Amino acid sequence: MRHSIIARLVMMFAAAALVIFSLIGGVLYAVVKNELLRHERDGLVTTFNDIEYMVSRVGTVDRWARVQTKLDTLTPADGKVRFWVFSNDPQFSYGKDLAELHDFDYDPNNIGRLRIKGKEFPMHTLTKVLPAYLDRPAIRLTIGVDTEPYFETLRTFVAAMIGLSLAGIFLVILFGYWIARAGLQPLKKMSDKAQTLSPQTLSERLTVSALPDELSDLAQAFNGALDRMENAYKQLEAFNADVAHELRTPLANLIGETQVALSRERSAPEFEIVLQSNLEELDRLRSIINDMLFLARCDQGEAATSLVHTAIADEVQKTIEFFEFVLDEMQMSVEVVGDIDAKSMIETALFRRALTNLLQNAIQHSPAGARITVSIDAQQKDVQVAVSNPGEPIEQRHLPRLFDRFYRVDSARRDFDGVHGHGLGLAIVKAIALMHGGTAFASSRSGKTTIGFTIGGKAA
Amino acid sequence: MKILIVEDEHKMAEYLCKGLTEQGCTVDLAANGIDGQHLAIQHDYDVIVLDVMLPGLDGFSVLRSLRTVKQTPVIMLTARDRVEDRIKGLHDGADDYLIKPFSFLELLARLQALTRRGRAQEPAQLRIGDLQIDLLSRKAYRNNTRIDLTAKEFALLAIMARRQGEILSKTAIAELVWDMNFDSNTNVVEVAIKRLRAKIDAPFDQKLLHTIRGMGYVLEPRAPEAPLPEHDEHDEEDG
Repeated sequence: MRHSIIARLVMMFAAAALVIFSLIGGVLYAVVKNELLRHERDGLVTTFNDIEYMVSRVGTVDRWARVQTKLDTLTPADGKVRFWVFSNDPQFSYGKDLAELHDFDYDPNNIGRLRIKGKEFPMHTLTKVLPAYLDRPAIRLTIGVDTEPYFETLRTFVAAMIGLSLAGIFLVILFGYWIARAGLQPLKKMSDKAQTLSPQTLSERLTVSALPDELSDLAQAFNGALDRMENAYKQLEAFNADVAHELRTPLANLIGETQVALSRERSAPEFEIVLQSNLEELDRLRSIINDMLFLARCDQGEAATSLVHTAIADEVQKTIEFFEFVLDEMQMSVEVVGDIDAKSMIETALFRRALTNLLQNAIQHSPAGARITVSIDAQQKDVQVAVSNPGEPIEQRHLPRLFDRFYRVDSARRDFDGVHGHGLGLAIVKAIALMHGGTAFASSRSGKTTIGFTIGGKAA
Repeated sequence: MKILIVEDEHKMAEYLCKGLTEQGCTVDLAANGIDGQHLAIQHDYDVIVLDVMLPGLDGFSVLRSLRTVKQTPVIMLTARDRVEDRIKGLHDGADDYLIKPFSFLELLARLQALTRRGRAQEPAQLRIGDLQIDLLSRKAYRNNTRIDLTAKEFALLAIMARRQGEILSKTAIAELVWDMNFDSNTNVVEVAIKRLRAKIDAPFDQKLLHTIRGMGYVLEPRAPEAPLPEHDEHDEEDG
């Protein structure tokens, strides 16, 4: 039972019970002891007053003999009550071992303690000096009471208290275990329910309303985690389906075309056409696979290597040059604005690839004659490169997903001017940004679409 | 050119052998690392094509033991596109590195580049049919008529002329002309070829710039009577 909540609770119950019983026991002990002592003192004082009254009025040796007899009869056989009279005149003395006890210290107002030879417990004593009377000189009267019953009572009380406390703690442990188990029942139910969740029942959730307040937060957090997982799971499923679909189309073309070609006799030039067409499909497959591998490498955390301190504007210019003919053909123009002097650590091939994809995307989605803008914005830590083009606005909900693999705003729109875009272009832009310690972003406002990425200035 | 191919994948070995033989090379094949190592050390080849993943002895080991004996140029082939692999191969003495799936044209270009290394300087004048190119003054003529080309158009023409008769893929052209060494998925090269074709071929009877569908483009004079499939000239009709 490692880190068992029940065990912890029971331990804590037991500790609490121990503290409570100890406190109660301690206080009771003090009260009982005090009461016993008071009771004993009262008894002693009463006896003392009686004897004092008797002794104080005796002033002759004659009558003293009667006092002695009286005290003898008052002294019980077991010696539980003892009387001593100390006097300078031996005729007026009384009691055993007078010589030994002659000098003991006493407090005339309080109960004193006196150890007697051969007795286990000390005696409680009360002592008082009585003034001289007739023949009798001043005497010191001491009455002692055996404390055995007092200590016996205290001892029995302590034993009973400890016994009761232990039994009480044991009961608390028993009840505590039962209470903890019963109290944790909702948790067990929740965990049983959670156990039943599997990839097949992804949409199931814990019912928060059926849970106690304390667990509803946990259940809500758990459900939140499930929501995110379901999303990721669905995305992965959709992604797998997209990959399969993207690969299936060229494969179907390849298989079908080849089968048709082989189904009857054909001339060499006819076969040549089929092979050339197959080659185009194969090239499409190769391109998809290469891009997927590139993205996979980025997913595995591969960062850009061979970083070179480069003037961003130069690379932008070179990439625009690449599109020179295409731009010319579409009567489009590209304008570079912003921090022309910005420099950053980049892997030039990757940077050009990202910008190529962005420009390609902008050209595809702009009307003929449009003016495209590439803005370079050197910020504190990173450099932002963005491509803006006039075009139909993109709905807000699409914007963050533009960088998802195979994501298409308009699923019907695929090829443009014979160019095979396979839906990975912007995903690659984002991957390249990540490889440079940056990120990708998109916005669409008042007929202008801007997509760009940042590059961390001090990228790893 | 004498070439050794060390490749265990049967289909690939076969088509490489066929393709290279048809290009006029003499080709030896080895299907595992041990045979490959033996052949590479015993015989003198102009270039060796070496797969990384091989049964018996892997490509890196073959390369290392070869380099202790001789400096035959080696192109490594691999299905794994990892930077460490590339660095390891080049560190062990590989001259070039190709990642599967690669195009046959690319392999051919790299083989030619490896064996061409250290050859005499290329001439300043190139001639393809009646097309004349002056690389120094950067001017082109057909039938002694000056053809007006932009800088990039001339760069494209010069690159194709230097490799006349050689099929250049779109990726190769993008890399050689614009230094864009990745699959760009753009139609830049098509548009560029169309423009160049409009200037150097359209006004003349003999066409020099040909489209090889699915592969790329080639600059070469073809005999007018050669049967050209209709589709082959598809792009020329556009231009």
